[in-house]
Amino acid sequence: MKNIIRTEWLKVRTYRTFWVMLILAAIIPVISNFFMANLFSNGDLKKATQLMGQPFSFPAVWLSVASISSYTSGLFAILLIILTTNEYTFRTNRQNIIDGWDRRDFVYAKLFWLVALSLIALAITTLTGIIIGLSYGDTSLSFEDYRYVIYYFLQVVVALSIALLIAVLLKRAGIAIVIFFAYSMMLDNILSAILKRYVGQVGGLLPLQAGDQLLPVPLFGKLISEEMYDAYVYVIAILVYISIAVYIVFRKMMKSDL
Amino acid sequence: MQALSGVSFDVPPGSVFGILGPNGSGKTTLLGIVTDVLKADSGTFQLFGKPAGASERRSIGTLLETPNFYHYLSGWKNLEISASIKQRGADDIERVLKVCGLYARKDAAFKTYSLGMKQRLALASVLLGDPDVLILDEPTNGLDPSGIAEVRSIIHDLAGSGKTIILASHLLDEVEKVCTHVAILQRGQLLLSGAVSEVIQRNDFVELAAADNQALVALILRFPGCNSAVVSGSSVIATFDSPPDTAAINGWCANNGIWLSQLQLRKKSLEKAFLELTHTSNS
Repeated sequence: MKNIIRTEWLKVRTYRTFWVMLILAAIIPVISNFFMANLFSNGDLKKATQLMGQPFSFPAVWLSVASISSYTSGLFAILLIILTTNEYTFRTNRQNIIDGWDRRDFVYAKLFWLVALSLIALAITTLTGIIIGLSYGDTSLSFEDYRYVIYYFLQVVVALSIALLIAVLLKRAGIAIVIFFAYSMMLDNILSAILKRYVGQVGGLLPLQAGDQLLPVPLFGKLISEEMYDAYVYVIAILVYISIAVYIVFRKMMKSDL
Repeated sequence: MQALSGVSFDVPPGSVFGILGPNGSGKTTLLGIVTDVLKADSGTFQLFGKPAGASERRSIGTLLETPNFYHYLSGWKNLEISASIKQRGADDIERVLKVCGLYARKDAAFKTYSLGMKQRLALASVLLGDPDVLILDEPTNGLDPSGIAEVRSIIHDLAGSGKTIILASHLLDEVEKVCTHVAILQRGQLLLSGAVSEVIQRNDFVELAAADNQALVALILRFPGCNSAVVSGSSVIATFDSPPDTAAINGWCANNGIWLSQLQLRKKSLEKAFLELTHTSNS
């Protein structure tokens, strides 16, 4: 595994696109959180904020930052798609095997990015939560309700698993990014809304919707009461989706001609 | 589409093994299977006498079809990645870049390289870590004449130092110049394999002419060991059971009253030998 991580590092060390995308993916959730915190801590909105139960004070700040950050996880997905489809574009997926990686190692290399990017997202949102809670909130640091950040982390992992799956199946960056966004911004939501309306709360169990159910938008979420499963049901659903995506990626890589 | 069927042979250690065949005959498919980038429906192969895995591949330098590198990285950095995956050769990068004549451009991005330079980088990657076995699929593709000559001399040197080299090519004289053994593929079938001298029989022949070619034919057929003589254009082509002795032929003709205006020992071209081989199998 050390060799795989070292090799992946050599691939991106001087790759400008990687660093630009990584910085964007890291900064945009931070900016979004500070923007919202600022917006709801000044002027007229400040009163509304108080009605909503101090969303930028501990412990509620964890749900707020997790929910806001979750809108930006697509940026990490783009990065993972680029890193994966690059290998197909340059045919280095083939060369890596010829040079002496097991096909399995190639999948591990991409799973390493999936985990690394998710952990970066987790770290950034945690830090953002602490700073916003301390600077905009009225309470002292507390990790009560930190579970919302863990839900956010799971949602990033499932989103990246889907991105990796799409990248491995489609092999081209442009089309993979378009399909990923079509799914994450529209298809998942629409299917979920249809299912919820005609079938019931099972509609909340779609891959990305499951995370959304766990992270109700704090500023409006409390106004809408909705039938929901217990949180663990959504967590299990997310874990199942991650396993299925990773399994298909492995299967595809182990069997296909390169 | 079945690309290969019933192809089976051994590559002796230390040999330069040519895999010869026209375009689309299955050369690359065969090597792709051996390097695990293609999955065969059936059949087995061994590397170094054991079932092949990633660690066996790490000790083989392989160039398969086109050079595959990260376009945005320099030649040097691309070789760092190869060395990292091979787990060897990191301190060998300078040497292989010099051998392949790329050292001056080592810091330029791969995407700025010409086709020939890309091929040279692929060769440099093959040489990385000084492997004992090399697989080269059309190694002179895209190179200019001096590049082709350089690659041939590299292959010669490697062969001389006892490395095992598997060389796939549709260029016959490339194979003739460097190979000790050869396997000939045609439409996925193995036609022949073995030592070059056994596989490609190439009897020398003699081209000769005199004032009266008909008389010459009649005479030369009586020469000991001559098995055919025909008029071809303005000269006579004669073949013999054993390597012909031109001085003896000259003397024989003069003693029998025919003075030769032309006498030349010729080798059947490899192209012709190869075409004969593949045509025989067609019919």
